[in-house]
Amino acid sequence: MKVFLAALLFAAIVAIGVSILLEAIQEPSYVAFSTGGARVGNPGHNLVGPNG
Amino acid sequence: MASFGRFIRLAVGACAFLLVIAASVPCNAQQVNPTASSVKEQQLLQELNRIQGRVSIPDQRSGVLEQPAGRDWREFRNVTLRWIGGIAILGTIAAMVIFYLTRGMVRLESGRSGRTLVRFTAFERFVHWITATCFIVLAISGLNITFCRPLLLPLIGFEAFSEWSQWAKYAHIYLSFPFTIGVVLIFLMWIAGNIPNKVDVDWLKRGGGIVGHDHPPAYRFNAGQKAIYWIVVIGGGAVAVTGYALMFPFYLSGIEGMQLAQIVHSIVAVLFIAAMLAHIYIGTIGMEGAFDAMGTGEVDLNWAKEHHSLWVEEEQAKGHTPSGSTPRPIAAE
Repeated sequence: MKVFLAALLFAAIVAIGVSILLEAIQEPSYVAFSTGGARVGNPGHNLVGPNG
Repeated sequence: MASFGRFIRLAVGACAFLLVIAASVPCNAQQVNPTASSVKEQQLLQELNRIQGRVSIPDQRSGVLEQPAGRDWREFRNVTLRWIGGIAILGTIAAMVIFYLTRGMVRLESGRSGRTLVRFTAFERFVHWITATCFIVLAISGLNITFCRPLLLPLIGFEAFSEWSQWAKYAHIYLSFPFTIGVVLIFLMWIAGNIPNKVDVDWLKRGGGIVGHDHPPAYRFNAGQKAIYWIVVIGGGAVAVTGYALMFPFYLSGIEGMQLAQIVHSIVAVLFIAAMLAHIYIGTIGMEGAFDAMGTGEVDLNWAKEHHSLWVEEEQAKGHTPSGSTPRPIAAE
């Protein structure tokens, strides 16, 4: 049981660690693919709208 | 002479009259359709392999207007893949149910001896359980991507489905990293014991003893386990490579490469799931005493002698003695 729980913990730590690392080194597409002349903000999570 | 002249004037007048009549009659014999041979829209979409041009925005991929191969890919992703996955996974489950109802659990014929032998070390079990637990979450979240929009969304609604799918996607992406670490470690740890040999040929010919009461000899890993090992290493490697290509889009290829990566990733994944269902079956309810190997790391000596007799001989030759209680002496009457 101890080995199983240790395995779960290891997997969770690696997954969370990778998510933090990728968050730090990547940039969102609306930043990467817009030029200086474009005024593009964070489009949010719901692109369909409140009634979508 | 005058009458001849009158005849000539009459003839020319008649001809002129006829010409005027002919010219004034509209030509209704054939309607001409000026667009008869022009290109139709469907023909245009199929004729050209790709329609792309120059764009001024930073994402140059937006210059591709039409990619007809994408329609074939969409047909695969929405129709063909669901058939392949459904048949493979449901077929495997059905086969296991039928097998369990007819053959039942493979029992320990000589009963438990009470003495155990170390089969897997703590590190081996640690690596196995990292890979296995990640696989379960990856499988469920992956099947969600393929199947659940038509199957689950109508049951739970858009809000719940999108929330669940968002978390499933994060789990799928981030747990792929410990899964890949597990697959690499499994490959390195157990490569020595999983090279096929003649004993495996004999084991396969005897059906692994799965039907009847045969117990073909085997070393530490029998042919069935070696098959699972190579499925995990090769299949796991394939889903990892294609998965990272999908996770970091367009780093390695264009849209055609991404479509190919998705095709390979999804087909290997559904077949991998079907194979692992069989592995989980035999390691839990399919065979008495099998789970102990990955649970506690120690297996009953009688179990080891019945299923891995050559491995027991090797262990005893190395001086690895079974631990646990010795058999109770029979009381003298």
